[in-house]
Amino acid sequence: MKEIRLPDTVPLLPIIDPWSQQDPEGPDSTRVYEFYKNLSEGRLTVQRCKKCRKIFYPPQPACKHCYSTEYEWIDVPKVGEIFSFTAMLLGFPMVFETFAPFVIAIARFGNYPENGVQIAGMMFDVKYEELKIGDKVTWDILRIRGPGEKVRYWYYFKKL
Amino acid sequence: MRKVAIVGAGITKFGRRDANWRDLVVEAGKALFDDVPNLDRNEVDSLFVGSAYPERWANTAHVAPMAAELLGIKPRRIVAKVESACQSGAIAIRYAWLSVASGLSDVAIVLGVEKMTSKFMNLTQSTMYIVGDREFDTVNGFTAPPFFAMVAQRHMHLYGTTREQLAMVRVKAGEYGSENPYAQFNRKVTMEEVLKARLVAPPLGLFDCSGITDGAAALLITSEERARKYTDTPVWILGGFQRTIHNSINEAGEIADWLSLRQLAKDVYDHFKITPDDIDIAEVHDCFTISEIVEYEELGFCKKGEGGKFIEEGQSYIGGKVAVNPSGGLLACGHPLGATGVRQAWEITMQFRGQVPRKRCVAGAELALAHNLSGLACMHSIMLYSLKKP
Repeated sequence: MKEIRLPDTVPLLPIIDPWSQQDPEGPDSTRVYEFYKNLSEGRLTVQRCKKCRKIFYPPQPACKHCYSTEYEWIDVPKVGEIFSFTAMLLGFPMVFETFAPFVIAIARFGNYPENGVQIAGMMFDVKYEELKIGDKVTWDILRIRGPGEKVRYWYYFKKL
Repeated sequence: MRKVAIVGAGITKFGRRDANWRDLVVEAGKALFDDVPNLDRNEVDSLFVGSAYPERWANTAHVAPMAAELLGIKPRRIVAKVESACQSGAIAIRYAWLSVASGLSDVAIVLGVEKMTSKFMNLTQSTMYIVGDREFDTVNGFTAPPFFAMVAQRHMHLYGTTREQLAMVRVKAGEYGSENPYAQFNRKVTMEEVLKARLVAPPLGLFDCSGITDGAAALLITSEERARKYTDTPVWILGGFQRTIHNSINEAGEIADWLSLRQLAKDVYDHFKITPDDIDIAEVHDCFTISEIVEYEELGFCKKGEGGKFIEEGQSYIGGKVAVNPSGGLLACGHPLGATGVRQAWEITMQFRGQVPRKRCVAGAELALAHNLSGLACMHSIMLYSLKKP
């Protein structure tokens, strides 16, 4: 008989890492790397087409309205309104279970849809019972540390 | 286009099964072959496998030829796996219908199968949440329940839908699911049970959500020329359409209004020159209680915003305006992603044949609609089935 030995743990693989896309060895990993670079500099940004002037999100390397590839990154306004909300109390995906439960909201920032965005975000310092539709929220930067020395950036919502 | 019919149907028990992906394929195959004793398996020239994520949950890829071998068939026209998340099975039926209607395939098997349960339910959830836009939307921590909970919040806010009305959808599902031996949760549930259940994503509790389920179902599909060889009661596939007009939260607009389904339903009714009043049975995608309420509205069974009232008045029960989910739906049957759409067609076939228990049999039904959705309610499909030859 011959025996082989299997490892007890494996690294956090991209297929279960929620933030795998922004794990760039460099800007080559995604054509919208600037979105993540902006987050690391404290800015939550969306694209505005230089040709048709419309805003689009999620990021992509061509305007989804007129398909121009000329665009600029503009900041999402700091104050928005809760459009809907819930809390994730059961059934967590891997990785999320380490910091669950938490509140999840969809909020509108700016003059949606013409000149604003409707985005989802996690909320950590508030209970589901303390929220209602229409509450004012702001976004802030979420620093994601690990595994090991790795540091990445996302955003979350805070009640105002 | 040739006329196309379902001429055989088989299903496995749905639930947390002590069986793997391959076992489920064989079990559904056996059920199908038992249903069509006149079938020589050499006649099967095409296979469409609706299975969403065997790559993750069964650690197996390239499953179509594996399924063919497990079924003991050697298809020679089309062999394909179809992925469309929660409506993988429904889309597999669409492709089979198209292939037989076009004349490319003569005899096709549609197999819907999913293995979702394991000791690692967090891996199941890790797969469910990438069905949304993982990089920009669902990375904010949500799988299906939080999204549909937010739909419910909006619906309650805009239209005054109540928590009790949501629960009534689950009570109805239990009423019929208790008469469906293949259902994962084949027992009645009370209002109190639904209302007091552990919360998953408020306002939705455990009973407001369809199950994480293992299961499979299979259909034999052929053209008018061959149908009578296999059955005396062919179920005619009239056809239907599919629609998506957004994917992301940012493009979704008002999430309590499912415009893509509203437009799709109108498109289908106009094309087939029918109205919602003509539908006898609707097997709809009640992945959550709120889903069925929104679907009553967007499918035109009631006015927008009156879905809550519709269930409260009992209009979606057998004997009401339209029998919605006499199978027990996803809420009672469970929701093995790839199997669900095929399970709906199985249900309609059994209803038309009069082979379901009397308490949930829709007597005299001749026209049925099957609806599925996938993702964050961003894509919908409708298929119409008829007992009368078109």
